[in-house]
Amino acid sequence: MLEIRNLCIRAGKRTLLSGLNLGLQDNRITAVIGPSGCGKTSILRWLAGIAPPSMHSDGELLLDGDAIATPHPALCYQPQNDALFPWLTIIQNASLGLEISGKSRREAKTLVAPLFQSFGLQGCENMFPSQLSGGMRQRAAFLRTVVQDGRFILLDEPFSALDAVTRLRMQKWLLARLQDRPRGVLLITHDLNEAAYMADRIIVMSSSPGRIIADLPVDHMRGQRGETALAPMRDKLKSLLLEETP
Amino acid sequence: MPRILPTMILAALLLVGWEAYCRLAEVSPLILPAPSGVLRALAQNRAEIGMHAGVTLGVATLGFSLSICFAFATSVLLHFVGWAERGLMPLFVASQTIPLVALAPLMILWFGFGLLPKVLLVILVTFFPMLLSLLSGYRQTPAAFRELLGSMGANRMEIFRRAALPSARPAFLAGLRISATYAIVATIFAEYAGARRGLGIYILSAKNNFRADLVLAAVVVSACLTLTLLGALRLIDRWTAKGPEARNHA
Repeated sequence: MLEIRNLCIRAGKRTLLSGLNLGLQDNRITAVIGPSGCGKTSILRWLAGIAPPSMHSDGELLLDGDAIATPHPALCYQPQNDALFPWLTIIQNASLGLEISGKSRREAKTLVAPLFQSFGLQGCENMFPSQLSGGMRQRAAFLRTVVQDGRFILLDEPFSALDAVTRLRMQKWLLARLQDRPRGVLLITHDLNEAAYMADRIIVMSSSPGRIIADLPVDHMRGQRGETALAPMRDKLKSLLLEETP
Repeated sequence: MPRILPTMILAALLLVGWEAYCRLAEVSPLILPAPSGVLRALAQNRAEIGMHAGVTLGVATLGFSLSICFAFATSVLLHFVGWAERGLMPLFVASQTIPLVALAPLMILWFGFGLLPKVLLVILVTFFPMLLSLLSGYRQTPAAFRELLGSMGANRMEIFRRAALPSARPAFLAGLRISATYAIVATIFAEYAGARRGLGIYILSAKNNFRADLVLAAVVVSACLTLTLLGALRLIDRWTAKGPEARNHA
């Protein structure tokens, strides 16, 4: 289990988060939603160890009860856009995290190559990112994240750049991949449907300074949430957010 | 239509106009030789001009190569050490304001007629555009790339090697092309200030002998040398391009 304790984040004189406590369970998807500027992305950047120097943070991060520093190999971050390096082939991009963790280029490729088929990227190994569609690029980015073998995946609005149809397909696809390779996921999103469809638990944040105003478990099993099951949760989230937004 | 065709047509028109003017206005070849006269002079003196051009190309290539190394090493230092950038950049900028006309004879005075003053002058003229383009290229590294690598635990050097350096490639190549055009000119200028061999001293001696045709023949050769250098850079660019850049060349 990953625990955030008493996290405070300030950017200059502005307090983004004050005293946030949040526990993330292994193999569960936790979505965080909230108005713009409530500090959702700041939580993620803090967890990923990439908070900018202008951001002052204070808080504790515990993994199975032990304090850890970030960046940490158990936490794998995927930025908002796919951030695939245009000068690297897809297999080189996917191997990046493994190489940085100390594996040789050959070793990293050997570990990544067998996963191309299950990620729907077979035949794309030696292509460059510009040769792939938006959905394929996202899959490659997920492959790069998943192959690092961290226990938790930090996703910052991963589907926001995709068109509506591709987004729906990718949500379904990601759930299937997480079924094969379970991971704890912290999903930051603006999309209420996405949160309700994908997450096992939804955290609703207040406007700045951000604090948790609701912690809602999602009852139905992932992948078995039809429109009828989603609608009440979506309405609840909508009313909570509307109350929070001035 | 080949990309070079409009340039060729314009150049041909200019040459035809120049030739016609010289013939019709009966301009003295001592003042303005016709293109045919320049070509004739070039053909008649090809061995001598070729020898001088070889010397110039050698000096320019050596100076330019050292300049690339110097610009790269300096750019890495300035990228990693903030106070070095703040301290050194104004000095580098000031170095670019020194007129070559004043500096070239002083270099000859201090370092003699050998290779050193010419190479130093080429470095002085060509390194700054490359330095600026490298620094600007490093700064253009997308934040998402730096953050992604940072989240993977990469250190500053690794982020530089994996993200900043490849991101700086297009800007660096642009700076390289600008500097390449300066390299031959700077060498000729240094030779003009004092040398035993090279196109610069050849131009000076031709001018002193009122041989405008030979001066222009040397100018034609110097332009060809610059184009050769640019062509070589283009080939290097093409061979080393990866991903979308490679397809742009195709």
